[in-house]
Amino acid sequence: MSGITSGSIYAIVGICWSIIFLVARILNFTTGEFVMLGGMLTWVFLSLELGLAPAIILAIVGTVIIGIILERLAIRPVRYPTEITYMVITIAAAVVIKGIILVTCGFETRLIEPFIATGPIHFLGASLTPQAVFVIGTLVIITIGLSLFFNRTLFGKALRATAINPDAARLVGIRIGTLKVFCFGLAGGLGAIAGIIIAPITFIGHGIGFMSGLKGLVVAIAGGWSITGTVLAGLALGLAEGFFAGFISPGWKDALALLIMIVFLVAKTISFSPRAKKESL
Amino acid sequence: MKSSERFKSYFPWIIIIAVIILLPIIIPSPYVISMMVFVALYGVLAIGMGILMGQAGLFSLVQPTWFGLGAYVAGILAVRGILPAWIGIIVGAAFVAVISYIIGAPVLRLRGLYLACATFGILIIAQIAFVQLGDITGGHSGLLGIPPLSIGGFVFQTDVHYYFLCWALCIACLWFSSNVINSRLGRAIKSSRDSEVASKTLGVNIPKYRLQIFILTSVMAGLAGGIFCFYLRLIAPSCFGFALLVEIMLMVVIGGIGSLWGLLLGSFVITWLSEFVHMYLGKLLPVMTGEVDAIFFGILVILVLIFMPRGLAGWVEQLFHLGKRIYEHFRRKLSLA
Repeated sequence: MSGITSGSIYAIVGICWSIIFLVARILNFTTGEFVMLGGMLTWVFLSLELGLAPAIILAIVGTVIIGIILERLAIRPVRYPTEITYMVITIAAAVVIKGIILVTCGFETRLIEPFIATGPIHFLGASLTPQAVFVIGTLVIITIGLSLFFNRTLFGKALRATAINPDAARLVGIRIGTLKVFCFGLAGGLGAIAGIIIAPITFIGHGIGFMSGLKGLVVAIAGGWSITGTVLAGLALGLAEGFFAGFISPGWKDALALLIMIVFLVAKTISFSPRAKKESL
Repeated sequence: MKSSERFKSYFPWIIIIAVIILLPIIIPSPYVISMMVFVALYGVLAIGMGILMGQAGLFSLVQPTWFGLGAYVAGILAVRGILPAWIGIIVGAAFVAVISYIIGAPVLRLRGLYLACATFGILIIAQIAFVQLGDITGGHSGLLGIPPLSIGGFVFQTDVHYYFLCWALCIACLWFSSNVINSRLGRAIKSSRDSEVASKTLGVNIPKYRLQIFILTSVMAGLAGGIFCFYLRLIAPSCFGFALLVEIMLMVVIGGIGSLWGLLLGSFVITWLSEFVHMYLGKLLPVMTGEVDAIFFGILVILVLIFMPRGLAGWVEQLFHLGKRIYEHFRRKLSLA
């Protein structure tokens, strides 16, 4: 069951990657740090004795604001934008965020108490902690919410149009700059939620952002940058990792995900019919 | 006319070699010498990554792995006493060449961001592998007890010995790369960077040339790694991970991908800057200096990319052109008057 739990987290993080990648064509390496920020800010606000609900809300809002600041300060002013420049900038920004959290909050790992303090639930022979139910429920809500948002609202449709063709979207009067800011905010918020709900299960510290961010990237690539694909890929990766860690070796678990990513990327370039060859890779 | 032109093209080489030879005589401090050893070794890495990015248009992040692989192979062979140290370095470089061929052949089919993702993945996998293969590599605590490098009867013991060895390697790599860039291979990869379709049409075998330049830069990094392990006498997986990648990326960004000299300049500036930052910020914030350095360098990368997109070398070049224009302007005015 822990496979499904961590898979849900990977799926949420993967959605963060794909939102920004599709709309802004930026591989945002700070996504993992958003997860870390969500968890750490919750811990900070909890240690200020604010209570759970206000702490969570403040942490999400804080991460959204940091995402927006990142877009305005580091992404928007680039004069000769290329994909590579953006990627280097987001890697640098991730290092900065991690460093600042380390200096201000210390290097110890923290544990947040589970949100609902009851014993494990037994369901079909598997035992579930309430927090795991919480995680899976959040994934379901986020998936349904986002697909409603992208398919039913005007703003969501504008986002999809921008992802398909930014120039045409600009021509029909969609403000791409605003959308990019919105995407960074949304990704920040979703990442923070992922960080908050996972915090009671795993320990949280300044270092967790790196690997969870990378796993999100793996899942987003394997899922073909779409929400459904990402969710499926996330759950599959979570399960595969669980089995791999259990039966083969826990140490090599992280290498498995990255290997999957490389295999997926390379497999995409092999085209069997010359007509289906994609230029975009 | 011709001989003076030839002299002009050799001129920067003569200056830099003279500076390198004179430096240990002028400043005999072991601290400066040991810093300059790192400048040379990281310079080799930066040159490799800069060529891949600037000339070939391949955004490969796997350079630290080749450095680490070369270091580990040479170090393990020396610790176990299987081969003499200097043969170990060569075997390490050959091993790196084989592995980079195996990895490069499929991965170099990717473009742009996807290549970056795949190579980043390889970097992290290698990092995990160095830790997990603890029986051979020594795991987290690293490989200990590497003997000093000796060639024939000559043992490299002081920093000055390594200084000359490393700079010999660095200059050799620089010279080799500047020749490669102007060779058939160099022209082929530059044309494939500028327009893949056009160079394909002209019959350039792009995958072959890309693989060749990839392997050449990996071998350079592998050789540097071999020397690195004998200089430090101790290597750990964390020496070759994400932190080194950020540092090298910074060197390439600061140096600018346009010129080889810029990359060496980038390595010089960043190695010294990180030392100073380490020293001064260490006094201000006594805890966790490594991470504080990271904040500083992250902000520096962002600022450089926003305000100085062509790097330090490009900036110096711009200043040079500005000076030249002002000079021309005044000369014309004077000649008119």
